[in-house]
Amino acid sequence: MSDNNVMKGTAGTGLLLLSAIVLVVSFGFVMYNLTVYGHASFNVSSSLPWGQPISTYLYFALASSGLGLIAALPLVFGFKQYYGIAKRSIFLAFIILISGMAVLALELGHPFRMLWAIPLNMQIQSAMFWMGVFYAADLLFLLWKFQKMESGEWDSKATRTIGIASFLGVLLASGTLALIFGMMSMRPFWFDGSLPIYFYLTAITSGMAALVFFSYLAYGFDRSRMPERMQSAFTGGLPKLFAAVLGLTVLFVGVRAITGLYSNHPEVYHVWADYLFASPVYVLSVLFGLIVPFLLMLVPKLRVQSQIQVLVAILAFGGLFAERYFFVVGGQVVPLFKGTWAWDMIQYSPSAAEWGLTIMGSAMFFTLYVLGEKYFNLSAVPEQLAATETPGAPEKATA
Amino acid sequence: MAKWGMVIDLDKCTGCQACTTACAMENNTLPGESWQDVLFYHEGEYPTAQMKWLPRPCMQCESPSCVYVCPTRATYKDDEAGGIVFVDWNKCIGCKYCMIACPYGVRFYADEQPLVEPDIRDVYPGENGQMWSPPYQNPEQDWRRGIGIQPKGVVSKCTFCHHRVSKAPEGVADLDEDDPELVEYVPACVRTCAPKARYFGDLDNPESNVNRLIGDKHGVRLLDHTGNRPQVYYLGAGAGVPAFRPRNSRRGD
Repeated sequence: MSDNNVMKGTAGTGLLLLSAIVLVVSFGFVMYNLTVYGHASFNVSSSLPWGQPISTYLYFALASSGLGLIAALPLVFGFKQYYGIAKRSIFLAFIILISGMAVLALELGHPFRMLWAIPLNMQIQSAMFWMGVFYAADLLFLLWKFQKMESGEWDSKATRTIGIASFLGVLLASGTLALIFGMMSMRPFWFDGSLPIYFYLTAITSGMAALVFFSYLAYGFDRSRMPERMQSAFTGGLPKLFAAVLGLTVLFVGVRAITGLYSNHPEVYHVWADYLFASPVYVLSVLFGLIVPFLLMLVPKLRVQSQIQVLVAILAFGGLFAERYFFVVGGQVVPLFKGTWAWDMIQYSPSAAEWGLTIMGSAMFFTLYVLGEKYFNLSAVPEQLAATETPGAPEKATA
Repeated sequence: MAKWGMVIDLDKCTGCQACTTACAMENNTLPGESWQDVLFYHEGEYPTAQMKWLPRPCMQCESPSCVYVCPTRATYKDDEAGGIVFVDWNKCIGCKYCMIACPYGVRFYADEQPLVEPDIRDVYPGENGQMWSPPYQNPEQDWRRGIGIQPKGVVSKCTFCHHRVSKAPEGVADLDEDDPELVEYVPACVRTCAPKARYFGDLDNPESNVNRLIGDKHGVRLLDHTGNRPQVYYLGAGAGVPAFRPRNSRRGD
């Protein structure tokens, strides 16, 4: 089955070379800028300290969490029809989190100091402390779980325990990441106790987009070359789940927008009316990155088509990347405590070095992805399952 | 130990920015890195339009949100130093979460694009770990408290001129720049204030002048609803900053 995986052949080698070159060049570009100009090569400022590098980290970290939650369907909740996508989900979750952490490290003023200063000072009141703890645990559990799968140990008691621990780790990590923003009462655009729910939903949406795109990529965008168990997942329940999480994401964005536009609170209203909806990029990203994909996935005949699934995945990548960007920047565009001294909202657009970081993270992810496809069988399922069950039939019936 | 507090009388402040300049000279801050600043803003429209200004140091909050969010305890409130909130530049990782969490916008990450050209950091390149090293600089350096010229990649802020205040005689109720015995211990912004709009003293001492002023003249703390409870109080009419309004808002206000 794995012979059909084009990443194991010359196409994969080509993509690996291309990704590696982009990774080296973008890393070199970012390091040159950081060495020569420092963080002055970023367009962030003391008035708007978190820019695209932070939103890129958020995008990667939440896509990783989404993939972890999707993998929990078969590994924790026993939906065995999804075993075919479990191992790839875990692997993608691991490498996308690594890539996100690399981007974050280069955004920080002192990344190496973080390694000792956070554990030694135990500031348990800080959400950022807990985010570090939970994402570190998440990373370890993902690695451990992948190692168990690699050794063929899918269903042992230890594997199930690790699976449950990993699931909880993902929930805690992405939930805490949400609360880094959601607990900031001085930033009313973010201040929202239900933000973890929004993050879970959008995490699954971006995780699903990644799973769909990279599963298809592995088989040259030809579903008939996939193992049967994967095919049945992509024609069965997964497209419905994709449609559902896209719909819930649209609903959540809509509810936040309505609340914001209705509010008299200047630090919420102006963000929605005069920053987000005043930006054609934001409007287009919501329209073509969330609403159109949702509508496409609503139609039963369309959502099972492989081309539509890949298209929706690509659109959702863009839509959610923009959503993260506008969420992070939107919370800071109203100048803090300056009143009418500030004439307008803070202007920010990412610099070349900041784009370089985003490209570096993406290239790192692609490089690790091709290596993973080359050296592991990411479509593997438990041996006894592959041998004893006829895959696909029930899912196809419900498609 | 004293709990240092500042009282700023807006009815006396002329908005001359001498405090901002004195702070920059004392602490060798960069252009734009205004640990102390005076905000100028307008409120209302003709015929009730007002021009206002508000001096704004770090509020040295009693419940500082910046301290709670710092993942490394680099930002900390030192009760032994009068309740001043410091940044330990040896521990700061430059995550800037404290800048997100401060409601008053009084924290700075100076490793950013220069406000004015030429970039003074290029004119006086940094030595011995400093971000920049001007030939004239305050000899007082204490990186554990964020005093001096910072290294790259850390957050900086007003320290209530701890390097001066900490040398004051034990038990003193107020640091009054008119008292020749105490003038050297007064924060730079207070000492330089020509109309004497600023007062500095011990909020824990019932006999202090700052407490008397807060009590008698109805001192208020800004953004009190955030619960940060500043150790800086304002007297006089119009203590507060009006809400932000972009010039071309869709709402038309």
